[in-house]
Amino acid sequence: MNVLTARAAGLIGCTRCGRVWPGEASHCGRCGAPLAPVSALSLQRVWAWWFAGLIAYVPANMLPMLRTATLGHEQANTILGGVIELVAHHNYGVAAIVFIASIMIPVAKFIAIGYLALIVAHEKFAGSHRHLHLYEVVEFIGRWSMIDVFVVAILSALVQLGFVASIHPGPAAASFALSVAFTMLSAQNFDPRLIWLAPLGTDKA
Amino acid sequence: MNDTPQPAELHTTPAPPPIWSRVSVIWLVPLIALAVTLGVAWKSYSDRGVLIEIDFADATGIRPGETALKFREVEVGTVEAVSFSPDLTSVRVGVRVDKTIAPFIDDEAKFWLVRPEVSAQGISRLDTVLSGTFIEGFWDAAPTEQTYQFTGLDRAPVSPDPTKGTWVELRAEDAGGLAEGAPVIFRGITVGRLQNLRLSPAGGVLVDAFIDAPHDKRLSSQTRFWDTSGFSVSLGAGGVSLDVRSLASLVQGGVEFETFSTGGSTVQNGRPFRLFASVEAARNSIFGNDLVDPVRFTLLFDDAIEGIARGTKVHFRGVEAGEVTDISVRMQADSVGNQFARQQVVIALAPARLGLDESTEAEVVTEFLSGEVENGLRARIAGIGLLGTTRIIDLTDVPDQPEARVNPDLEPFPSIPTAPPAANELAASAEDVFERVQALPIEELMASAIRAMDSISVVAEDEKTRAVPGELAGLLEELRTLVDGLNAEGAAQKTISALDRVTSAADSVLTEIEGLGEMLASTDQAAQTFAELPMGEIGEKIDGILGDLRSMLGSEDAERLPRALSDTLEESAALLAELRAGGAAEKLNGTLDATQDAARAVGDATERLPELSRKLETLVSRAEGLVAAYGDRSAFNNEILTTIRELRRATSSFGSLARMIERNPRAFILGR
Repeated sequence: MNVLTARAAGLIGCTRCGRVWPGEASHCGRCGAPLAPVSALSLQRVWAWWFAGLIAYVPANMLPMLRTATLGHEQANTILGGVIELVAHHNYGVAAIVFIASIMIPVAKFIAIGYLALIVAHEKFAGSHRHLHLYEVVEFIGRWSMIDVFVVAILSALVQLGFVASIHPGPAAASFALSVAFTMLSAQNFDPRLIWLAPLGTDKA
Repeated sequence: MNDTPQPAELHTTPAPPPIWSRVSVIWLVPLIALAVTLGVAWKSYSDRGVLIEIDFADATGIRPGETALKFREVEVGTVEAVSFSPDLTSVRVGVRVDKTIAPFIDDEAKFWLVRPEVSAQGISRLDTVLSGTFIEGFWDAAPTEQTYQFTGLDRAPVSPDPTKGTWVELRAEDAGGLAEGAPVIFRGITVGRLQNLRLSPAGGVLVDAFIDAPHDKRLSSQTRFWDTSGFSVSLGAGGVSLDVRSLASLVQGGVEFETFSTGGSTVQNGRPFRLFASVEAARNSIFGNDLVDPVRFTLLFDDAIEGIARGTKVHFRGVEAGEVTDISVRMQADSVGNQFARQQVVIALAPARLGLDESTEAEVVTEFLSGEVENGLRARIAGIGLLGTTRIIDLTDVPDQPEARVNPDLEPFPSIPTAPPAANELAASAEDVFERVQALPIEELMASAIRAMDSISVVAEDEKTRAVPGELAGLLEELRTLVDGLNAEGAAQKTISALDRVTSAADSVLTEIEGLGEMLASTDQAAQTFAELPMGEIGEKIDGILGDLRSMLGSEDAERLPRALSDTLEESAALLAELRAGGAAEKLNGTLDATQDAARAVGDATERLPELSRKLETLVSRAEGLVAAYGDRSAFNNEILTTIRELRRATSSFGSLARMIERNPRAFILGR
């Protein structure tokens, strides 16, 4: 596939609005966003946030997400534990939503970002439109992972009936929120122009 | 020249950018995240408490991850796992205990489950209904070697903290109505609880009583405990009295204590005390509290041991020295192999009553008694009390007994040889008295009394006795007729006038006949007497006689009475008949008429008048004598009265004897 890339043409594209500028321009004349050349350093940032997100994801799954106190009985559930309990109570719909939003999507995001970050370096996969779609999906869906954190936040605020029933966020809620935030940052730091650049540095000379 | 050499084109590669420009600073973020995560993980791991395992019979309400371990109501740990002991007989609860408190949990630590409990004393730990069961633990502040394996208590201890009171061990023959947690009462105030009710290996029952501070100061070595379980009903002169110490003690029993004597020493934890069955027993027991486990001996009797029961007194040479604690039958085989039963009586003896020191060891007491047995001491059943009905066991010297020894190896307790029961002299003499009483001819006495009564009624019912009043009436009638006749004839006036004439005649005669005046004077006197004849008085006297007779008949006279009366009446009748037959009035008239004619007739008349008056006087005196004879104070009457009185006394004596027998036959037989 013989494609003339903007980089090869000495041009630089705005990552915000897509306008192409001459290579010397430092700011986008249309939207004012800073223009940066495609850099391998951006991939490092992706990996850094990705690892931070992964590290935060471990306690998010091991520690309790929600502490529910009902008539003196305190119950603490992890994310997966909550899902299992919902299944046990035959709330399959809610269980599916929680499972997809809190487990499937974050895990899928990790895989997708990691995959993208890995393959952009290979010439063989350069310029794949599917990769661009994958990136767009990841970026779009990333924010929905926060659904669990929102649930915890809202429940904690609403259900404060003292002794009868009260809900407190567990330490996993913060970890999970951090993990989601880190993966979102990771996805944002991924420069989709890299998809077209591969193999990195081969056409630099 | 201008061909300046050009430097050779250098193959240069630009210096690679320094490492810090090639590596993004953003890598710090995952590093920090990793560091924080690892730090948190390490902290939580290092802060993790110590895992101890507690075995419970069951794990009601225990939920892993939720159930707390509390110390003085503060959460110090959480149940992590619930599993089973290897033999599946108990539940093993793994508890993660805070690191700070874990070193204090040593082998002195106690654990129990706290659940809501409904008992006779009320409902406790209602809070656990909502909060759920938790494990309560108690341990002291002295950390010793740490232990990780514990066995939980079945129920909460009465007072986990031993510094908040004193616990003593009570020993009883049986638990009666006592229950775990029953109150310990001192003067009506609950000052403690019973716990750990259990069987003693030596027989009997042990129970720990925990007396809360500061009431435990009331305890001394002289304190006596007794059982106040249930209620007591006593019937006395003051009516029926129902005694219930408290509702709780009615349901779960209770123990009360009191120090009856002074001079006791303070009580240490775990000191044994005897638990008496009642306050009287506690007060009267000769066993001091120092002697919770008195020296016991076995007695084997061949004969029946009727009247011996638990609590029967044991006397040592006449002094109360102990009591019977157990009775059973022991099968034994003789040399041939025949089985035979002997009565086995276990007695407890107080060494102090044997003349030994109070805290003498059992072996020493056995040794002492061995010596006594060699000198002839035997155990035998004896009776005390007036009739010997109260049975005791008497340890005393019995002469002429086959040689025997104390067997110190007999189970369960050393044996003391026995002797046949003693004959009770007092009982024997009492028996003699009874026999004599029985031999008394009571029935014959009764028979003769009945006979006497019969005779009396025969007399009373006799025809003659009944005829007496009729005859008397007839007599009176005749008397009245006589008096009327005399009145009607004007005898008195005529006599007087005749006498006047006689006087005038006599005056004339006097002048002629010497000594006639003397005769006239006597005639005058006779006439005077006659004139003064008290006819009314006679009637009255006869009335009195009748009254006397009636009263006499009322008192039921003897057989003799009718005959005597009849005789008297016959004589009276004869007299009257004579009077009538003699035609006294006519004769008088004739005489007086004749006197008028002839002075000679005066002599006849004067001769007969004194005779008449004499006869009348005789009659009156006889009647009076009769009356006197049967009057109030006569000897006969007295005799009758005395007899009747004596009869009456005899009857009343028999009556009171009969009443006494009827009222209390047992007393008559037993003599008390």
